[in-house]
Amino acid sequence: MDAAIEIRNLTKRFGKVVAVDQLSLTIEAGEFLALLGPSGCGKTTLLRCIAGLEEPDEGQILIGEQVVFASERGNVVSPGQRQVGMVFQSYALWPHMTVYDNVGYGLWLKKVPRDEIRQRVDDVLHDLAMEGLGERYPFELSGGQQQRVALARLLATQPPIFFMDEPLSNLDARLRMDMRSEIKRLHYESGATTVYVTHDQTEALTMATRVAVMRDGRIQQVAPPMEVYRRPANLFVAEFVGMPRINLLPAKATWHAERLWLEMSTFELPAPGALPQGDLIIAVRPEDISLSLEPEAGAVEFRVYAVLPSGPELFVHVRRDDTALVAREIRQLDLEMDQSVWVRIDPAAITLYDKASGRLLTPASVKG
Amino acid sequence: MALMDVFAGTTPAPRWFNRARRRISSPQFILAILFLTVLAYLILVPLFNLAWTTLVWGEGDQRLSPQAVPGEFTLAHWQRVLTGRLSQKLLLEPLGHTLLIGISASALALTVGGLLGWLVTRTNLPGRGWLRTLLIVPYLLPAYALALAWTTVFKSDLVGGRPGVFEALLGFPPPPWSSYGSIPIILAMAVHYYPFTFLVVSGALTTLDAQLEEGAELLGASRWTILRTITFPLVAPAFLSALVLTFGRTVSAFATPALLGMPVRYYTLSTMLYSNISIGLVSNGYILALILIVLASLTVYLNSRLLGASARFVTIGGKGFKANPVRLARWRWPIFIVVMLFALAWIVLPIGLLAYQSVMLVEGLYGPDNFTSYFWISDTDTTIFPDGEPGVLRNEGILKAAWNSLRLAVSGAVIGALAGVLIGYLVVRGRYQRLMRLLDQMTYLPFLIPSIAFGAMYLSMFAVQRGPIPALYGTFALLVLVSVVKNLPYTTRTGASAVTQINRELEEAAELQGASWIERFRRIVLPLASSGVVSGMMITFITIMRELSLIIILSTPATRVLMTMSYRYVDEDYIQHANTLVLIVIMLTMLGEVIAWRLGRGKLATMQAQE
Repeated sequence: MDAAIEIRNLTKRFGKVVAVDQLSLTIEAGEFLALLGPSGCGKTTLLRCIAGLEEPDEGQILIGEQVVFASERGNVVSPGQRQVGMVFQSYALWPHMTVYDNVGYGLWLKKVPRDEIRQRVDDVLHDLAMEGLGERYPFELSGGQQQRVALARLLATQPPIFFMDEPLSNLDARLRMDMRSEIKRLHYESGATTVYVTHDQTEALTMATRVAVMRDGRIQQVAPPMEVYRRPANLFVAEFVGMPRINLLPAKATWHAERLWLEMSTFELPAPGALPQGDLIIAVRPEDISLSLEPEAGAVEFRVYAVLPSGPELFVHVRRDDTALVAREIRQLDLEMDQSVWVRIDPAAITLYDKASGRLLTPASVKG
Repeated sequence: MALMDVFAGTTPAPRWFNRARRRISSPQFILAILFLTVLAYLILVPLFNLAWTTLVWGEGDQRLSPQAVPGEFTLAHWQRVLTGRLSQKLLLEPLGHTLLIGISASALALTVGGLLGWLVTRTNLPGRGWLRTLLIVPYLLPAYALALAWTTVFKSDLVGGRPGVFEALLGFPPPPWSSYGSIPIILAMAVHYYPFTFLVVSGALTTLDAQLEEGAELLGASRWTILRTITFPLVAPAFLSALVLTFGRTVSAFATPALLGMPVRYYTLSTMLYSNISIGLVSNGYILALILIVLASLTVYLNSRLLGASARFVTIGGKGFKANPVRLARWRWPIFIVVMLFALAWIVLPIGLLAYQSVMLVEGLYGPDNFTSYFWISDTDTTIFPDGEPGVLRNEGILKAAWNSLRLAVSGAVIGALAGVLIGYLVVRGRYQRLMRLLDQMTYLPFLIPSIAFGAMYLSMFAVQRGPIPALYGTFALLVLVSVVKNLPYTTRTGASAVTQINRELEEAAELQGASWIERFRRIVLPLASSGVVSGMMITFITIMRELSLIIILSTPATRVLMTMSYRYVDEDYIQHANTLVLIVIMLTMLGEVIAWRLGRGKLATMQAQE
């Protein structure tokens, strides 16, 4: 079976709540797609619909060339036949089975000969550095080991599609970092189409080849991680992705001196291209704001509100009147509360949004 | 199948068709429909049949009325019971007795249970730990045991027979009101049912956050003021619910009023029902059964209303600090002595008496010369006992009854637990929610029907052949059936709670690997639910073991069990034999309790059944 997934106009309701709303998405064979969104955005429901654990209300789902769900016909392929392996948030290891039995169960169901099961389970446990733990029960393992068993169980049957539902959320921060690279490597080696559900934007950005940001059952943007980060499709994505949060500044586009300017309460920037005049929002990442301790031409004076050092970098909160900004500073500046700093925004790095709709504005290039 | 493929090949089958096809081939759906049908036949049909029987003339009714044509519709039965000449004796008097007993016994049980519950959870009473277990014992015994012990003490020649302990020791007969009638029934029932309130109140007091009380204490409230304004209002809903449930149980009780009332023609609804059926006036009995069902359902309804109201009082879980116990100061030991005397008189003494009686040659003669092992191990000996009834352990009839008891309790527990976990699964995890809710409600119905009325329902249902189902009356299978169905409300809930504790993802993980539902149920759900299911099994085992009122109407000489046989012995005045049998039942249930204790992490089966 080809491992591409196609979702067309999918809707899933729970009573009156619409969990997935007219959603269409194509997942290429072999890609690592992260479904990113706040809790309750429908990402897990979408995953469960594709896996066949829920029956959607409308739309179509295709895995490979095969229709697995169609609104006229319902779920036509059962979950077990969809060739999908899944790592659950709770790991869902069977507590009454040993590690060995947990990993080998799927093969046993497929009537694989005993020797082959043994071989395959041993291999998978070896790959995940879990040799010698086969006879243990899940409750005898640490959280990180349980996580590996869940991965081993996924790998044992070699499904062409991997689903992971917040698999790292129960691990402590250090282990989570280690597992990210392991899972990324796992995807690379297996070449399986991977759909990874998370609410953690760092996880999505660091691991996925493409990120789909969801909100209220709809996709907000599907793009490679850096594009999602650099050019968020709307204000929701802009605010959701990035830590600390992106700076948003209300502005007006106005003509004067025969140029189009972006006017804020404290700044004025040349517009990057042709824009309709009116209200809009400027978004600028903290790393695109530079600070200077001396007055500079084109820089605006702000007051330091708070300084939050975090090892390699500083996050500096600055204020002027009712404008508050966060800047990322990699120099180890010795800043005091309430001291003056001069703030400059890189006009090439900003993105602009329509104030009313929240959509990304792409300024037409202005010649001359 | 070929047709289907052609169909699928041209235009895809519509969704409703696919759904319907998947549904009727889904094991969950098939099982649910199967259970619903079987349960409808085992609960609804008998209930309607019982009601219908009261509206038509029966076979033997010509002796009641010359116009009776068997099978014809009539209101004569209802008229006879409700307004007829005999209604005073048949209905009003027993109803009055039932209400009197129900109200007084529950009030008494509540006072005793509430007080004891508070003493062992919130004071520095000595021996609180083991008292907590000892004080539940009356509830573990068959209600019948206490009544039997009572008669042994307070029996007089009022109704013939030998004198009781009272007369033997003091030389004069006890006053008649103390031998039989309302007073002994109320006392025996209050003692049997107070542990229920005791459990509820001590449970509520243990979970009550002590900080709520400490808050008041810091504001300067006295102990008594705290008790009155904080503690009591917070446990009041639990208390009220215990009252209503105790009332429901006392009005439907059979064993105690049968032993302590019927010898002097003091009837309650349940004993009147039984005696009407045993003399062949079944329609009278069935009408009384219906009235009893309505009464019991009303109390359950009232209880659910009260519990609904009590949701307001769910206190936010605090850190669960143990409250500093109330210091009883100089009252500590006097109160302890009173509690011990109570336990001695109502728990130790009755069991001791039953045991003593069983080794006494001539009943009522208390002395060292009168010991015998006759009632336990002797062969037939007409020189000692004119009828030559052999001792319990040599008596084939009794051994047969013991075997029947065990067999009934074991098969009822096993079948009940399996049905319970299956239905419980369907109800909490099943796909077709509307259908499953219906199933849930169906399994709850037997809870509304008092045991004695349930027995009557089954008598009316299975006394004759109906379609392909033969007349089951007189078979052992009927006893198993009635025991399983009557206990279904408990077994289903035990099963459901065992299933609820299994994370749904455990099953989905197997589903994604391609495991069918049957495979999943067998390999994932059942093993993980097993400890809950086994402890539920022990609860049912004990319940069936000491059951009398459910099967008394249905058991025949061939199918009798220890409890029914003991009841017949009392009827025939073989008191020592009756005592011995009850002792055996007590020993077997205690054994079950010990096993349940081990399985249930230090909780008695009876306590688990309350949760």
